[in-house]
Amino acid sequence: MQSFRRFDRSTSLFIGLLIVSFLTATIDVRSQGAGIGDTLRDGTQSLFSPLQEAASVITRPVVGFVDGISNIAGLRDENERLRDRNKELEAQAQNVAGLQNRLEELERINNLDPPGDVLDVTAHIFSVGVSPFDHIRWINRGTEDGVVVGHTVVDEDGLVGRVDYVDETTARVRLITDTRNGVGVRDLDTNETGVAEGQGSAPLRLRMFNAVEPIEKGHLIVTEGGRYAPGIVVGSVATTAEAEAGFSLIAEVTPAVDFSRIDFVKVLVGWLPSEFTAPDDLSEPIPDAPDPFPGS
Amino acid sequence: MSGKHIIYALLLSIAGLVIQSTLFGESRINPFGAAPNLVLVLVVICAAYLEAEPALLVAFTSGLLMDLLGGSTIGLWAIALVVAAYVTLRVRDRIDDGVVVVAAGLLALSVLGHAIFAIASTLFGEQVFADPGWYRQIVLPSLYNLVVAAILIPLVSRAMGGRQVRRMV
Repeated sequence: MQSFRRFDRSTSLFIGLLIVSFLTATIDVRSQGAGIGDTLRDGTQSLFSPLQEAASVITRPVVGFVDGISNIAGLRDENERLRDRNKELEAQAQNVAGLQNRLEELERINNLDPPGDVLDVTAHIFSVGVSPFDHIRWINRGTEDGVVVGHTVVDEDGLVGRVDYVDETTARVRLITDTRNGVGVRDLDTNETGVAEGQGSAPLRLRMFNAVEPIEKGHLIVTEGGRYAPGIVVGSVATTAEAEAGFSLIAEVTPAVDFSRIDFVKVLVGWLPSEFTAPDDLSEPIPDAPDPFPGS
Repeated sequence: MSGKHIIYALLLSIAGLVIQSTLFGESRINPFGAAPNLVLVLVVICAAYLEAEPALLVAFTSGLLMDLLGGSTIGLWAIALVVAAYVTLRVRDRIDDGVVVVAAGLLALSVLGHAIFAIASTLFGEQVFADPGWYRQIVLPSLYNLVVAAILIPLVSRAMGGRQVRRMV
């Protein structure tokens, strides 16, 4: 008769914990981040955010010191890069007036609101993701400041990402580089539309499904609207690509935002995609910020 | 093994989480686009000192906290850290074989932890492998973990009361 060796206690516990973990992940995926998962996140975040904010203050000089050291090492390269960039910008500046006219025309045609008119709240990034696969930022603004899930987040250079989780005092921003993110975009030069998909540590991948005209290196890509506020700079085309009949045009886009250097961002609380509705308690004006839903 | 040591292990793990999310990563210290994974290192080192069941529970709790504070589905880092801790429990007898063996073991466990997370994430619909540099996000943090471990091993050893590494699973 075949004999079976019993699992030892640690192996039984190991298997049990794996089963619990898989069940938790399944429940979290099926509830799409809501339900028990949301409650657990709320609790954990409210416990950890004071610790993280305090640690952020303490570690900032260390980060600054390391940043300074690495900057010294790369100063010569940076100087050369800036010289090249200066030449590019001089060339681009000559086209700005024309582009501005085209942008205004596009906005009129598409009924887009210029992003400059949208109400915003400035937020500080106090924490980043805890693993190498995370492309998120935690900011010190929450529902108390009028931030809700779906709000677009920008900095002075362009599009940063989108709020995908929020509690009373903090919010999580999923960066446009996250592999789960796709941004509806428009090429300002050709007026063709497409989707810029996050690729983690790599540049964004631009897909244009019905493109007729080629897109060339240096073309400016802006948000088209939909899930993100329209007219925000996403980045510039890094690789020229030709349009071929029957194939989607694929190119790389360098994000306008330097994600390794962002510290403060703006949440566009005055603009929300139509897929989301404002919670009742946010229909009242916010104490320190203008009404995030004008006209509601 | 007293409850005190288990609490110390949990506190170390929480401290690791806070430091990880404020000192390392994008827009923080992130050499060559990657940073060490402090929590994974701490879980592996603590598993060498704690008894089997507490070591697995500390790994599970740490993983769950990583999931809750990160951007991933809840439970994925718990899977990765529990597997890393379990393998550590099975191989910790080899710790006397020398620094090279310990370093190689730690590197292998770090790669294993990250790889398990990447695979589990893919199973649950997260597109980790859509990043063309996914292998760098596994290899570089694992290499950095070796450097961090050199600092953390004496610290954990002291927190565990200078006790010897456990022999039995």
